[in-house]
Amino acid sequence: MSAFIDARTIPSGTTQTPDLAIIGGGPAGIALAMALADSKLKILLLESGGMNFDPAVQKMYAGSQTGYEPLDGDRLRYLGGGTNHWGGWCRPMDESDFEVRDWVPSSGWPFGRAALEPYYPRAQSLVEAGAWAYDQGGNALATRHGPILPLGKGGVYTSWFQFSKMRGDVLPTQFGHRYEQDLRAQANLTVWLNANVTGIRLAANGTSVDHLDVATLNGRQFTVKPRYTVLACGGIENARLLLVSNDVVKPGIGNAADLVGRYFADNPIPRDVATLVVFGGRLAPYYRDNQDMGHGAILRATFAPSDTWRRQARVAGSLTTVEQTVVLDDVGKAAVATTAAALGVDASSAQAWSLGCGLELIPDPDRRVTLAPEKDALGLPRLKLANSISDEDFARYRHTLAELGRQLLASKAGMLRINCTTRDEWMKNMDWGHHHLGTTRMHDDPRRGVVNSNAMVHGVANLYVAGSSVFPSYSASNPTLNLIALTLRLADYLKAVMA
Amino acid sequence: MKRRTLIAGAGFAAGAAAVAGLWRYTGLLRHYAPSPYDDLLEQLNDRDQAALLGRQVVGAPDARMMAQELRTRIGKGGLGAAAMADITADRMTEVDGWILPQSVGQLAVLAAKH
Repeated sequence: MSAFIDARTIPSGTTQTPDLAIIGGGPAGIALAMALADSKLKILLLESGGMNFDPAVQKMYAGSQTGYEPLDGDRLRYLGGGTNHWGGWCRPMDESDFEVRDWVPSSGWPFGRAALEPYYPRAQSLVEAGAWAYDQGGNALATRHGPILPLGKGGVYTSWFQFSKMRGDVLPTQFGHRYEQDLRAQANLTVWLNANVTGIRLAANGTSVDHLDVATLNGRQFTVKPRYTVLACGGIENARLLLVSNDVVKPGIGNAADLVGRYFADNPIPRDVATLVVFGGRLAPYYRDNQDMGHGAILRATFAPSDTWRRQARVAGSLTTVEQTVVLDDVGKAAVATTAAALGVDASSAQAWSLGCGLELIPDPDRRVTLAPEKDALGLPRLKLANSISDEDFARYRHTLAELGRQLLASKAGMLRINCTTRDEWMKNMDWGHHHLGTTRMHDDPRRGVVNSNAMVHGVANLYVAGSSVFPSYSASNPTLNLIALTLRLADYLKAVMA
Repeated sequence: MKRRTLIAGAGFAAGAAAVAGLWRYTGLLRHYAPSPYDDLLEQLNDRDQAALLGRQVVGAPDARMMAQELRTRIGKGGLGAAAMADITADRMTEVDGWILPQSVGQLAVLAAKH
């Protein structure tokens, strides 16, 4: 049995010497700990929060921001991390998400999707999203529940989200509560709750981690001297800990190229971006809502640009979903009547729906987190986040919507109106995915990345980063499934190097 | 009021309602001033609806040029074939946000002008 220890009860001055310290008990930290259960490594998982929400702990997230939501409002600082409030949306990244795309500056992973393929099944199992049914698998399941909306030949196709449980009032998998017993049963693991890492201290030559400073809100202070450390405390806090740990290396750990905290991204979710009209008036239920397809798979259809078309049309990733029914105005009715008649289609039963979207942003070094002068309860500098969306991001997505509109007409199934042209129109109904990406980006060249393709911080041999902060380009797919697959890959690597 | 007047009045009202109904719901009695583009506009199922759409186009496209282009494109195949050819060739236009085959958009503009 592993120990779950409330660090507030541990005497100050205690020193621990695990083989591996995992900083952060979100989906990445928990997946990593569990993946190493069969190893002989002695693991210490350090979680800042407890088992449940605590306002005092949460307040350590507070900071300032422009163009974004409050920093303590879209994350959760207790065991399970972001999965304590996630929506359960899952989709593997596309092949082109990994590619160097010359029309997407600073894009490209050091490896392709094939490197994650072996890890997706286990990741899918951990998020409890049922049988793997994305893409063609989804098509086969869906046809039993209604026809797929025909789209003419072109760049957009019906793809699928799968959901972590989310059946009726069943919530998605919250990793802390769901896997608590598994973690407790893990003999090689100790979990310290309410234990905040306040500094990663490097050896004097700056090439390895010597120890971690740990503190609690009730004033206890400890030292952890691990052989290896994995930073897994989310896409914003990972950068913060590297930046504040600047006693040996002045710009902060891994920050020689001034990249830590830069290239922050989220998936913007603009609503009511377009109006979809189906001439026949019928749209299968899986377009409008999550549908239980059997085999534990809950699916929802989404319109995605194909890899081929993304390369050809030079657009970024986007996933467009059907939202709610809408009533057309007189011009809309005229557009439908005129176009359907021209195509020889009966549109007397036409129905309209609004569309929403999750977008992939173009990487931007000026979208970044930096340290602020204000301090949190443990004396750590708070963060300042500068977020933005470029007009180019909207323009590229508009191109994809126009292609979807063309394909609907080609199949004579329907048509589409793009509702947003000006920046104000795009921003009017803007939500955010709360997916924090990119602040410790991965690249094998230390001038272009914070971590290498094995997620090791450049120049620091025993420090690794897990989670979506390493994503160098982002995809429109929700990150949780993907960051877990990436973490499982890291686990395999650590097993080999630490053996 | 004399009975004869009453019957005549009721008959007139019924006739007027029938004419209004035919005008409103069938378009049979609608009259459009002759235009140089009637050969094109007759391709439209409902000129009023097309005109409403066409009025959303900002700017003043050259109707003569547009008509010339449309005649070539529509040719003998009719509007349906021209629209499908536009879609296949990605000759699309946007009117008030609606993604339309170019030939449909251009006809709507002509309908709005005439």
